[in-house]
Amino acid sequence: MSKRVNVIGVGMTKFQKPGASDDYNVMAANAAKVAIEDAKVKFADIESAYVGYVFGDSTCGQRAVYDVGLTGIPVFNVNNNCSTGSTALMLAAQAIQGGIAECVLALGFEKMEKGALGSKYTDRTNPLEKHVDVMVRAQGVNSAPFAAQMFGGAGREYRWKYGTKKETFAKISEKARKHAANNPYALFNTPLSVEEILASEEVFDPLTRFQCCPPTCGAAAAILCSDEFAKKLGITKPIYIAGQVMTTDFPSSFEDSMMKMVGYDMTKNAAKKLYEQTGIGAEDVDVVELHDCFTANELLTYEALGLCPEGQAEKFIWDGDNTYGGKFVTNPSGGLLSKGHPLGATGLAQCTELVWQLRGTGGKRQVKDAKVALQHNLGLGGACVLTMYRT
Amino acid sequence: MSQLRFDGRVALVTGAGNGLGRSHALLLASRGCKVVVNDLGGGHTGGGKSSAAADAVVAEIKAAGGEAVANYDSVEDGDKIVKTALDAFGHLDIVINNAGILRDTSFQKMTQEDWDLIYRVHVLGAYRVTKAAWDHMRERGFGRIILTASAAGIYGNFGQTNYAMAKLGLVGFGSTLAIEGGKKNVHTNVIAPIAGSRMTETVLPKDLIDALKPEYVSPLVAYLCHETCTENGGLFEVGGGFYGKLRWERTSGKVFKLGRAISPENVQSAWGDITDFKKTTHPKDITSSMEPILGNLGTKALGGNEFIDLDQAMGYEFPSATTTYDERDTALYALGVGAAQNPLDEKELQYVYEMNGAGFNVLPTFGVVPALGFIFDLYKQGKQAPGMNYGFERVLHGEQYTELRRPLPPHAKLTHKAKIKDIFDKGKNALVVTEIRSFDETGEELVYNELTTFVRGAGGWGGDRGPQGEVNTPPDRAPDQTITEKISENQALLYRLSGDINPLHADPAFAKNFGFEKPILHGLCTFGYAARHVIRAFSNNDARLFKSIKARFSESVFPGETIVTEMWKESATRIVFRCKVKERDKVVLASAAIELYTEIPKPKAKPATTPTPTTAVAAPAGLSLPTEGGMNSNDLFWGIRHHVETNPDLVGQIGTVFQFKLTGPESVWTLDLKNGKGSVTEGEAAKPDCTLELSQADFLGMATGKLNPQKLYFGGQLKIGGNLMASQKLTFLQKIDAAKTRDAMKAAGYTPGAGGAVPAGASATAGPAASSGSPSGDVFVAIRDYIEKNPDLVGQVATVYQWKLTGPDSAWIMDLKNGKGSVEPGNHDKPDCTLELADSDFMAMTSGAADPQKLFFEKKLKISGNLMASQKLTFLKKMDPEQAKAAIAKAKASGGAPAAGGGAAAAPKKDAVAPRFFGALAERLKKTPALKDEVKAIIQFVVTAPDAAWTCDFVAGAITEGKVDNATAVVRIADSDLTEIAQDGNLASLFQHGKFKVDGDVRVAHKLGFVKGLV
Repeated sequence: MSKRVNVIGVGMTKFQKPGASDDYNVMAANAAKVAIEDAKVKFADIESAYVGYVFGDSTCGQRAVYDVGLTGIPVFNVNNNCSTGSTALMLAAQAIQGGIAECVLALGFEKMEKGALGSKYTDRTNPLEKHVDVMVRAQGVNSAPFAAQMFGGAGREYRWKYGTKKETFAKISEKARKHAANNPYALFNTPLSVEEILASEEVFDPLTRFQCCPPTCGAAAAILCSDEFAKKLGITKPIYIAGQVMTTDFPSSFEDSMMKMVGYDMTKNAAKKLYEQTGIGAEDVDVVELHDCFTANELLTYEALGLCPEGQAEKFIWDGDNTYGGKFVTNPSGGLLSKGHPLGATGLAQCTELVWQLRGTGGKRQVKDAKVALQHNLGLGGACVLTMYRT
Repeated sequence: MSQLRFDGRVALVTGAGNGLGRSHALLLASRGCKVVVNDLGGGHTGGGKSSAAADAVVAEIKAAGGEAVANYDSVEDGDKIVKTALDAFGHLDIVINNAGILRDTSFQKMTQEDWDLIYRVHVLGAYRVTKAAWDHMRERGFGRIILTASAAGIYGNFGQTNYAMAKLGLVGFGSTLAIEGGKKNVHTNVIAPIAGSRMTETVLPKDLIDALKPEYVSPLVAYLCHETCTENGGLFEVGGGFYGKLRWERTSGKVFKLGRAISPENVQSAWGDITDFKKTTHPKDITSSMEPILGNLGTKALGGNEFIDLDQAMGYEFPSATTTYDERDTALYALGVGAAQNPLDEKELQYVYEMNGAGFNVLPTFGVVPALGFIFDLYKQGKQAPGMNYGFERVLHGEQYTELRRPLPPHAKLTHKAKIKDIFDKGKNALVVTEIRSFDETGEELVYNELTTFVRGAGGWGGDRGPQGEVNTPPDRAPDQTITEKISENQALLYRLSGDINPLHADPAFAKNFGFEKPILHGLCTFGYAARHVIRAFSNNDARLFKSIKARFSESVFPGETIVTEMWKESATRIVFRCKVKERDKVVLASAAIELYTEIPKPKAKPATTPTPTTAVAAPAGLSLPTEGGMNSNDLFWGIRHHVETNPDLVGQIGTVFQFKLTGPESVWTLDLKNGKGSVTEGEAAKPDCTLELSQADFLGMATGKLNPQKLYFGGQLKIGGNLMASQKLTFLQKIDAAKTRDAMKAAGYTPGAGGAVPAGASATAGPAASSGSPSGDVFVAIRDYIEKNPDLVGQVATVYQWKLTGPDSAWIMDLKNGKGSVEPGNHDKPDCTLELADSDFMAMTSGAADPQKLFFEKKLKISGNLMASQKLTFLKKMDPEQAKAAIAKAKASGGAPAAGGGAAAAPKKDAVAPRFFGALAERLKKTPALKDEVKAIIQFVVTAPDAAWTCDFVAGAITEGKVDNATAVVRIADSDLTEIAQDGNLASLFQHGKFKVDGDVRVAHKLGFVKGLV
């Protein structure tokens, strides 16, 4: 039988824009130290580290961990595009689950460049080749950033299907900014109105600049442990992982739907498995951190996760069911849109926010009586990791 | 909820003097049940006897107002206990087999008595009591039986081998009683209770026993015994407040196909599957237990042994891969199989010299090289087919069959798909046939190979022996043709460069180890020799007629020996042959034949629709061009050029570079309606936006309006690459007036139908356009001025730069390599370095406002060719702005003659589509008022380039120019795209492509289908 995984320490750096942050090893070490302190463990207690990042030469993970301690432990470098952070988290959780270790570190960081994401290697098969093929068939290619074309195209398909207004997409950004205003770790703390969001430069219809997550630098970390280890530390009621699922692309990703190409079915399938695995349904969830790299994806994800029925996202948004006072609080941290999206760190920053929420230490962002939290982290290429946390 | 009552029921509880039995008896009695309280009154290990325990319980029941009688018999006398019940109460409904004792001791110390005693009380006792009650219950059509098992029996427990045996025995006993009694409403269930009793005091700590009261177990027993409970054959764990049912879980396991031996090693290697509880079933009964076994009965293994598992390997499809080859590879191969030993032999030059006057042809047997290379690569990557568990050292290439679907092109990108086609048991050895199909880039199969390998020592599983008997046996007469050729001493060294680098063919020491005096020749090298010989002898030396070859490799050949190919013509298309080594008179290629085509096959993907196929392939362009109305395609392109020249607006409107690839005969034309003034030239375009492939005849039909391009496209006669949408802009072709074109031709001295040459003066790229609105032209003027003043630059930079600016588009050549250097608009045919960027970025870069490196990394600046040369452009920063201004002013004053490109995009668009589009829409609405009801919405169109606003009010039924603020949806669209939505009509796709945008409710746009055909 697999062992329960507890999250006993979390930490993150303030997210910053490219150029304004420390180097990756400094950010990562800082986040790890905060998490270690939070867990009240010593670095020597940590038996292995799972370190995620997307951009950087090999073994950046060790370099980051070495600034925290040199105990010769195994360090695994993890790379899974935008879902890198939660992939590191999942590997770390598996080590506990399988009884391989009692206490481990999951760490993620990213030092990003200005401008949109691009491909670093042009002399080999692009891993997103099959995804791009779908897009080329469906809508051609233009000079907009690729990710914006993909998720924006998914937004177009959704709009065509359900007649969604552009304002609805902008509403999501407005909400993200409002949430982030209460998050000192977020990159953007200033609220924006729907009008301002719509008036910003168009990136790829229906997406405007303020509906795209910014390139960000930052790091986040989590300390995971077994029940026995938590007991030894005297922690009586730790936040624990009730379930976790990763999916990758299904054949439907490569048919003719932009929505499916950007991972709608990966999320949908993962959610089904997670709800089965945990016996917790969407309706039982109190707070959600989900992958809002673009407003369009947050909207699709509401439906894929079953937070609202298919085709009903617009009503869900205008009814305020995605924020305080509604059915779910989605992205209390401000999400990728406002908190920022350092690829390798995002999955662990989501974890950090949710652990704070479940501990009741969310400050002004605290979701009242949060007991069950859901995390959704998605990477094109593709991988979708869902994690359910409980008090 | 009403109370579960047992009024009128009679229960018999064994061992009811204490613990669980007492608790069961008390609970049932409290609910109206008459109870026989049986207890021998012995100790919990089976010694002694007394009536006190049973009497006490009976007294307790009676005191509470219930009915009960005591019985002091041993359960081994079950009939006496049952008799007590029948005597006292007349019938019996419930039997609770609860009596039990413990004789705990490790197996090591266990005595026969310990074993027998436990068996007698638990198993034999339960049997005797139940047996005595059984017929009675069946006759009455009601009975509830409880058997008491234990977790120790289910899971095992130290010191309780005897007890565990007995307890699990009761589970099996109960499962079967349930089946036999079910129909008579006699239900049997088994409980595995945990409770603090005299028996468990020995194994459990005191405080735990207190928590495990028997009273926590009895409610389950009572419910199971109630008449409303339908549970039968269940097993329950119960105690301390916990109630749960157990069932069997079984892994999905591993199913081996039947018909062949299953070894312990098979089981070992399947252990993961056998024990994997991720996939499980829960068999309920014998039938469901048998399911996988029954399911496997029909299967039959194909057979195999430790080397080959046919069930896994047969039909296995290898992962496909793509390889390329070019003229160099095919020539090297031809040299490798001895072609052109005499370099003056014209018949052989065709295989090795790509510029050969009489044509360059690939030696057909080259078709085996890419396919085998693909298979070798799979081996190297360890991608053996599953079930093929032998090393490469056992493999011998036995036979080869290679078939070409059409002549191999001189270079190609091939995708190979291979699968195991057959596996034969040749007794001692095995024969494995792998088929490899190689497809060209259009997806058409080009080559089919069958690779037959001998696997030494891998046969003998008693399987299919495969086709028997000799094939392609030479007839009993002297050969019709014989070709003798000496093989060079170093031939194997040459052949191995085509991919088979086995050291056996190169390394003398290695060859000795294999028992050969020196490295041997590749069998496939001899194969190539033979093909060459047959083509020479029977195919009029036309390699393109070659269809297929099959041969068996019967003996090794040494380089330096003389090969004799003996050939027999069996039919016009079939040549049987064999190859011998002259020196040793040994047959080295046997059972061999080559088949020929009667005419050269053509690619299927591009069917030549011209009725004169014989003119295809090698006919020089222009000799026999199909004509339509007295015009051939050359004439037509002349006409198109004339049309483009006389309609300069076309460039702005269409903005596309078209590439026409015509077949039958082949010719290539570029129609540039994007750059400069536009141009029509023969030859390939550097970067076409849209490529159209079709036959000359179809092109003529299409351009003259006789054939519908859409039909051609869907019929597969027209292939469109690149921007599919752009091809729709070609409708202008139909506007070309044939009569006027002829007049123009006459005036220009061009003879229609003459074909070929393009008249002088009309050729080449259009010259630079007249001055435009873009200031980038001025900058180039300034650069030219700077270069003129700094003649040393040419030596220092020594580079020809090609600038391609977009938005507005223009192209400039900056030559700092030749002569004194020059700057002029247009496209250079061999630039060293090409820079592509937006006009505005170019301006920002040359004014120093933007850093070229940054532009490059942001992908706003694309550099092709020599990247380093772009770094030499820093001289641009040294230009004096004042001087530049002066130069520009001077150029403008002198009439603007040299100035800028970009004329195309900046050319004024005289014919905005919008007025026509909305005019036509108003007409349509007038004619079809039903449109109103169909749409029922106000749609605001905001048109750009040129800007316009139109309101389509489908509520009031009016199309008016201008804006309103109560529109249901706002459609934003470029003027030129109005044509596209009117022509294409696939609104979902156009929306997805961003051809138009919608504010407000997008679904209104779904109803815009009626715009199709408006303009």
